[in-house]
Amino acid sequence: MKDLVLMVVLGVVFGFAYWALVHTWNGLSILMGPAGDLAQHVLLGGWLLVAPIAIAIIRRPLAGVIAEVLASVVEVVFLGSPVGPTLIIAALIQGVGSELPFALTRYKRYGWTVFAVSGLLGAGLVFFYSAFRSGWYGQDLFTLRLAVQCVSGVVLGGLLARVVVEALARTGVVDNFAIGRGRDGQ
Amino acid sequence: MGRAAAPARGVEAAAAGAGSVVELTDLTVRFPRREQEALRDVSLQIAAGEQVVVLGASGSGKSTILHAVTGVVPHTVAAAVAGQVTVAGSATGETSVVERSRHLGVLAQDPSAAVCLPVVEQEIALPLENRGTDPAHIGGRIASALDSVGATGLRDLPTAHLSGGECQRVALAAALVAEPEVLLLDEPTSMLDPEGVAAVRDAVRSAVTRYRPAVILVEHRLDEWAGAEGVAGLPERVVVLVDGQVVADGPTSLVLQDQAAALRAAGCWLPLDAELGSLTGAQGGLASPANRALLHTLGRPTGTRSRPATGRPLLEASGLAVGRAPAPGRGGRRVDRRSAALLSGVDLTLREGEVVAVLGANGVGKSTLLLTLAGLLTPVAGRVLGDRPGLVFQNAEHQFLASTVEGEIAHGLTSDVTDARVLEQLRRHRLEHLVGQNPFRLSGGEQRRLSLAAMLAHPRPVLLTDEPTLGLDRRDAIATARTLRETADGGGAVLLVSHDLRLVAGLADRVVVLGDGAVLADGPTERVLADPVVLARASLTLPPLVSWLVANLPGRVAHVLQGLDATVTGRADGVA
Amino acid sequence: MRSVERSSPLARRNPSIKLGVLFLVSLVVMFVLDPVTPAVLYLLALVGVVLSSGAPVRTLALAHVPFLAFAAGVLVVNALSRPGAVLWQSGPLRVTEEGLSVGAALAFRTLLVGVLAVGFLLSTDGVALMTSLHHNAGLGARPTYAILAGYRMLQEMPREWSLIRAAHAVRGDRRKDGRPPGGPRHLGGVVFTLLVVSIRKGERVAQALESRGLGLEPRSTWRPVRVSTADWVFVAGVVLVVGVVLAASAQLGLLRGPGALFG
Repeated sequence: MKDLVLMVVLGVVFGFAYWALVHTWNGLSILMGPAGDLAQHVLLGGWLLVAPIAIAIIRRPLAGVIAEVLASVVEVVFLGSPVGPTLIIAALIQGVGSELPFALTRYKRYGWTVFAVSGLLGAGLVFFYSAFRSGWYGQDLFTLRLAVQCVSGVVLGGLLARVVVEALARTGVVDNFAIGRGRDGQ
Repeated sequence: MGRAAAPARGVEAAAAGAGSVVELTDLTVRFPRREQEALRDVSLQIAAGEQVVVLGASGSGKSTILHAVTGVVPHTVAAAVAGQVTVAGSATGETSVVERSRHLGVLAQDPSAAVCLPVVEQEIALPLENRGTDPAHIGGRIASALDSVGATGLRDLPTAHLSGGECQRVALAAALVAEPEVLLLDEPTSMLDPEGVAAVRDAVRSAVTRYRPAVILVEHRLDEWAGAEGVAGLPERVVVLVDGQVVADGPTSLVLQDQAAALRAAGCWLPLDAELGSLTGAQGGLASPANRALLHTLGRPTGTRSRPATGRPLLEASGLAVGRAPAPGRGGRRVDRRSAALLSGVDLTLREGEVVAVLGANGVGKSTLLLTLAGLLTPVAGRVLGDRPGLVFQNAEHQFLASTVEGEIAHGLTSDVTDARVLEQLRRHRLEHLVGQNPFRLSGGEQRRLSLAAMLAHPRPVLLTDEPTLGLDRRDAIATARTLRETADGGGAVLLVSHDLRLVAGLADRVVVLGDGAVLADGPTERVLADPVVLARASLTLPPLVSWLVANLPGRVAHVLQGLDATVTGRADGVA
Repeated sequence: MRSVERSSPLARRNPSIKLGVLFLVSLVVMFVLDPVTPAVLYLLALVGVVLSSGAPVRTLALAHVPFLAFAAGVLVVNALSRPGAVLWQSGPLRVTEEGLSVGAALAFRTLLVGVLAVGFLLSTDGVALMTSLHHNAGLGARPTYAILAGYRMLQEMPREWSLIRAAHAVRGDRRKDGRPPGGPRHLGGVVFTLLVVSIRKGERVAQALESRGLGLEPRSTWRPVRVSTADWVFVAGVVLVVGVVLAASAQLGLLRGPGALFG
């Protein structure tokens, strides 16, 4: 149960933080208007954070996918996303992408590389879904969009996730999760 | 650990305690990264319907006992456990927390985590739904559970609108609605104001009399739990824990008589009768001549400090009106603009050397006033003059910025003064042994000391603080009061918001009472506390000791209270 | 976080059904790439939402702002960035016919999904939706109550957020103009503190839920949410309208699929 609640908490905090940051920097919300179509690629990595953080703390198969989907449910149901429920599909794909590298290393390796690949795949996989949903295919900007989104995925959705996980581990609040047991055993 | 005999003793004890609902046999618990065991060879048997209070200072292992009973230790919180825990006849080493919940009701400390669902009645329906109760009966049982905690009127409310005390009563109703055999109470009032404490205490009493579950109460604020009834208001049996071991177990009045001195020294808050009894050996509290004599002796003028009547003004608020800044609404829509001020016409001057306490009922605007004085909220009207004050928040964790204790204190200091200041604060707040530790890993008391240390490392003349002693044991509370006094004596000024009138009476030079959207009174502590009209208008009730002192030892109230505090810390000089 | 109209016809529909319908329509229009079809559907949806949600027109208009801006962006980017028959050119900027057509299609789709989502949000209470997903859509008890508990934490978060911001602001130095800090470093720290205290609280919440027996089997359900005939009529109505519009559009030769993207 605590794992499940943790996934929800991650979704709620990051969902709320994103919303609060947009409000704090009014400039950003204006930017999100006309330029929003492109700016979204830069910020996309931020949405990926939840999955790798959840996996690194809980260390169980499907933790990332479930966390990402729960976060999107909170987003759709309680924060009122105008994208509507198809956001949940995007979240599912993102979660699968982010989780893949961890699954391939059998939830045993949590180095920078695994996190970076996680961010890359999370951002990369969902790109092709979004490209279809948003009609980016056939645009001159197609490659640029993909490149920006992948970089954002690696930086914000991969490397930043590891920074956050390490900082959380130092505070002791995740000691009672799998990550803490792993460390006690070392 | 030399525990070869444990299994044999376990079997024996299990046979002997056939009638008990909860049974701990030679229970030893050790948490990872801790040198000391949290519990050592604890054996306890609790019979059906029995009421027990487990006493001990912070860190004595009280809560661990409850966690071992619920199974949170070791199922949720990692720990090495030896010995046996039995609930309702079945050994529980293997059963999960959820399975055990069939026999247990739990009420924990944090009101905001106690109520998890959006609407009150959902919260109380949940335990019944989980146990597969026939839906036709659920409505009625919710009603009677709410009735038994005196919260019938809350049934349809969103839980977001509840006060801390109301949250705890709703959580209590949820804990009891399925009528479990055992009710576990883990310091359920430690985060509440006096009004909330009284409401929750009464709710527990009335709910428990309804069907007599066994109760295990863990508490160190015995004085508040006992209330005006004194020792008679406590459960019939007391178990005293020191450093994870049971040192006494028996009828409350007897154990308190024997152990009061030790408990006082360990930092427990005792009921007044027990506290005075531990000093004089006399029973009867304030009615006893021996106890009165003690208070008179403590009040005898010895080396009274003369306080400067008028120091230099450090912070001046004039014609101040305060209100909450608009909370961010979703999407910028429906922003909650309560333009009306919570408080207005506040004239307040803080002078060098002064400790001033702000009193008032919940929601009167005390915290908003603090934030405005600190320059974090813009005044609705009027202005605040003076250097930027420091402000210590109620929840220390909200204020941490660094990843080590040392870094926390050094934050924002210029490099030429850092080392000396950090060392000084570490020593002063007894944090030297924790230098490299992460602030979030400290205990509650240590966190409070650290946040105070980090604020005092900066040369800010005025220190504002919100409920600085809430939830602390008596030792830490006294240490905090001393630090505040020293800060003022060192040429600063301190403004504190507190519900603890004993603390205020012993510490503050001056009291400002808020009520009805304005300042009701502003004057020397004793004079204001002796004014029944002001107290009634602000819904303040003096604790019996303070009330007696104000009436019988005018002019010496603070002196006596400091003398009593000194008996805890062994410092005869009171406030230095 | 949001207030909900409770008495309108749309508000009385089963929340899971509404979510399903919204999901279905969003999915179907994902495959429509001519400008006329989504434009017609958008107008019909707008009328439908105005009439059935009971939300004031002003609220609806205001709710349009974010996705209207987004739709405008989508239109401009597509008009400028798609190869095809050039309509207008100035320096490196050129507008193509194909770009304009696809852009308009995507913009109207954004508006359509946006207005439906707004209608859904304005008429659906989040708690009722979760309860309905649990009762009607087979969502398990544990995830349902975990999310509801998350919602409770979300409700407290604005207060917690401003408290932590203030608590951090006192610690740091002022900016040059004397105002409290507001930069990325400050906000990053606030988010981290919020995360730490929320995780701690989440652990206590999980314990509270378990202590109340969440996860025991078998469960019973108090006051189950039901799906009524009116709900099925509503589904049929929406499917019929969308079907008729698509059919008519195909008949008139207007309807285009994803092929439009690739010229």
